[in-house]
Amino acid sequence: MKIVDIALKDLVRSTRSLFLIGMAFAAPLLLTGLIYLAFGSIASGNLSLPDITLGVVNADALPADAPLDASFGESIRSMFFDESVRSWITASDYPDEAAARAAVDAQEIGVAVIIPAAFTEDYLAGKKDTVITILQDPTLSIGPTVVRDMVTSLLDGIAGGGIAFNVLNERLAANGQMLDPASIPSFFERYAAWYTDFQRAMFHSPEKAALVVTSPAAESEMSDPVRSMMGMMMSGQLIFFSFFTGAYAMMSILQESEEGTLARLFTTPTDRTTILAGKFLAVLFTVIIQGVVLLVAGHYLFGINWGEPGSLTLSLLGQMFASVGLAVLLVSFVQNSKQGGLVFGGALTMLGMISGLFTANIEIKAFDLMGNFTPQGWVLKAWKLSLAGSPANELVAPFLVLATMGVVMFAIGAVMFRRRFA
Amino acid sequence: MPFAIEVKNLKKSFGDLQAVQDASFNAEAGEVLSLLGPNGAGKSTTISMLSGLLAPTGGDASIMGHSITKEPEAAKSSLGVVPQDIALYPDLSARENLVFWGKMYGLRGAALKQRVDEVLEIIGLTDRQKDHIGKFSGGMKRRVNIGAALLHKPDVIIMDEPTVGIDPQSRRHILDNVKALNRQGMTVLYTTHYMEEAAELSDHIAIMDRGKVIAYGAHDQLIKMVGEETRIDLTLNTDGEKVLAAWKATQGVSQINSLDGKVTVLVDDSNRVLPHLFEEASKAGARITSVEIQEPNLETVFLHLTGRALRD
Ligand SMILES: Nc1ncnc2c1ncn2[C@@H]1O[C@H](COP(=O)(O)OP(=O)(O)OP(=O)(O)O)[C@@H](O)[C@H]1O
Ligand SMILES: [Mg+2]
Repeated sequence: MKIVDIALKDLVRSTRSLFLIGMAFAAPLLLTGLIYLAFGSIASGNLSLPDITLGVVNADALPADAPLDASFGESIRSMFFDESVRSWITASDYPDEAAARAAVDAQEIGVAVIIPAAFTEDYLAGKKDTVITILQDPTLSIGPTVVRDMVTSLLDGIAGGGIAFNVLNERLAANGQMLDPASIPSFFERYAAWYTDFQRAMFHSPEKAALVVTSPAAESEMSDPVRSMMGMMMSGQLIFFSFFTGAYAMMSILQESEEGTLARLFTTPTDRTTILAGKFLAVLFTVIIQGVVLLVAGHYLFGINWGEPGSLTLSLLGQMFASVGLAVLLVSFVQNSKQGGLVFGGALTMLGMISGLFTANIEIKAFDLMGNFTPQGWVLKAWKLSLAGSPANELVAPFLVLATMGVVMFAIGAVMFRRRFA
Repeated sequence: MPFAIEVKNLKKSFGDLQAVQDASFNAEAGEVLSLLGPNGAGKSTTISMLSGLLAPTGGDASIMGHSITKEPEAAKSSLGVVPQDIALYPDLSARENLVFWGKMYGLRGAALKQRVDEVLEIIGLTDRQKDHIGKFSGGMKRRVNIGAALLHKPDVIIMDEPTVGIDPQSRRHILDNVKALNRQGMTVLYTTHYMEEAAELSDHIAIMDRGKVIAYGAHDQLIKMVGEETRIDLTLNTDGEKVLAAWKATQGVSQINSLDGKVTVLVDDSNRVLPHLFEEASKAGARITSVEIQEPNLETVFLHLTGRALRD
C-alpha cells in the first residue's frame, strides 16, 4: 500500500512539472506534427492537385549498341503516361516541337517536354549540349515546376546509374574482367529501381516532390504508404521520449536525496525496499501512461495504425521494460540532479541516433546493426513489426529480448541504488 | 519506570573519524532533553542513529523500549523526527504534504483526514493548506516541517537545531511550540548550540564535545560543576599574548580563553584575582578596556570542562 502511496505522490509531482509534461507529451507530438505538416500534403493524396496537361515530344531513339532496354527519352515519356500519375497528369504525344509549341500557345496544354533526337546517345557519350526543353504556359507556375522536378529527378537517377556503371566497369577491368553485356540492362534497371525507392524514402521521388510543391493539406484519407511512413516517424519520437521521460522521472530519487525528503522517508517506519520500489513503480506508470497517450494521439491526430492489439501491447510493454531498466541504470551512475539532465540528454541522443530512431523511415545498415545492441534498437524493431501488421507471435522474440535487457539493467541499477541510498 | 530514550555506548565512525564515541544518556518520559554542543560535536550523527538514518558502529539505543537496531520499525513508529533542514515537497500543498507523511506513518482514511486537520490547526496554517509549500515563507515552511513529524502522535519527538538561521519571532514561535508539545506529554530531544535555548527548555542537558558526552544533568546541577568559580569577560587594547600567558600563571585562574580580543577567564574568587589581572596587564604594557563579571552559565560550564568556548 505504501508502495502505491509513494508512486502516486511521484505521479502527482510529475503532473506539476511543466518540463516533464513537455518532454513526455508535447515534444513528441509537436515534432511528429511538424513532420506531418511538412509532408501533410502527401496525406491529402492526389485529390487536391491541380491537373497538369502535358505534351511530350520524344524524338529520341535507342542506339543500336546502347546497354539499355529502352531509350532515356522513352523512360521520361513513359513516366508521364504511367498509371500512378494518370489521375493528375494528362499527357499526350506530339510529333515535333512546333506542334507542341502551338498547343502551348493555344493553351491546349500547360507544359511541353521536348526530348531531342539522339538524346540517349549524346547523354551516354557525355555531350554537354544535349538538352531537354520544357515549354510552358507563362500564366502557370506549379505545373511546369512539377514537370521539371520530375524530369531532373529521373535524369539524376540516370546520371547516378552511369557513374556507378563506369566505376563498376573500371573495377572489373582492373581485375582483367569484363562486364557481361547481357547483364547491363538489368544492372541499369536495378540501379534505377533502387534510386527510385531511395528518392521515395527521402521524399524526393518525382511524384511526391510534386505533391509537396503543390497542395496544401486537405482533409482526405491518407494513402497507406504515407500512413505507415508517419507511423515510422512517430515511433522514433515515441521511443526517444519514452526513454527520456523514464530517465527524467527516475531522477526524482536524486532530487529527493538532495531535498532531504529521502532521508525523512527513511525515518518513517517504511522499509527501504518499499521506498525504492514505490519510486520505480512511479516511473513505470509514467512510461506506460505516456505510451498509451501517445499511441492514442498518434492514431487520432495522424491516422497511424499501430498494429494488431496483441502486437502493439507487446511493443509497448517491451518499450516500458527497456525504458525503466535503462532509467534505473543511468540514474544510478549520475551524481546529482543537475548533472542528470545533461547526461541523459547526451546518452539518450547518442543511443537513439545509433539505433536509428531519428531515421526510422529509412533503412540504414549501420544503424540496423548497432540497434541489435541497444534497447532502443530493439524497441524500434518491435514497433516496425507491429506497424507492418505482424501478428503478436512475431513480436514475442523482440519482447523477450527487451524484457531481458530491462530486467538486467534494472537489477544492476537497483543494486547500485541500494548501496547508495539504502 | 523505563526511559523514553535510552542511549548506551553509542558509537559511529566515518573511516578514521570517530564522530560519536561511547555516547550514553537517557531521557525520562515526558521531559525535554537537550543535546548541547558546538559545531561538529556529533549531535546530528547521534540523532541520525536514533532516527534510523545511520546504522551505529557500536552500542545501542532504544525509543520507548524498542531497540533501534533490533526493532527499527517499532522504534520509528514511536518517534517523530524534525530534520534540521526543511524536508518537504515544494510542489505539493501543505495539506498534500501532511497527508503523504501521515500515510508513511500508517495513517489512513478518516483518521488521517482528521489528524491532518488537527495538525494544520496546531501549526496555524489551516487557511493556507491548499497552497504549495514552495510559495511559503521560511517560517511557514518550518512549521509544516514540524507538523509532518506530529501526525502519528509520537511519544518521542526529535528536533535537530530547529531554530538555526531564522528570525527571532519565528524562533520564539518554535520554542513555544516545543513547550506546548511537551506539556501534552511528548518527550522531546532537542539539539542546539545555543545555551540559552537549552537553559530555557530543558529538564536535562547532555553536553557533547568531539563525539563524547562530557556532562549530563539538570541545568542547575551542571552549573554547580563550575563550583564557586566566576567568569570574567575582559577586552584588551592589544591582542597581548604576553598578557594571556601571565594571566594563565596567576594564582586562582583555572581556565582562560581568548577570541577576537575578547578574553574569558574563570577564577575562584573575583575579588581577589581581579587586581592581579590589572597588575599583570600593565606590567605587559597592555590596557584593559572593559570588564564584566558573569554569573556562571552553561557557557561557563563548557569552558570549565573543555577550555574552549561553546561558540566558535
Ligand atoms: N556522512 C559523514 N561522513 C563523514 N563524516 C561525517 C559525516 N557526517 C558527519 N561527519 C563528521 O562527524 C562529525 C560530527 O558531525 P555532526 O554533524 O554530528 O555534528 P553536529 O554536532 O551536528 O554539528 P552542527 O552543529 O554543525 O550540526 C563532524 O566532524 C562531521 O564532519
Ligand atoms: Mg548538526
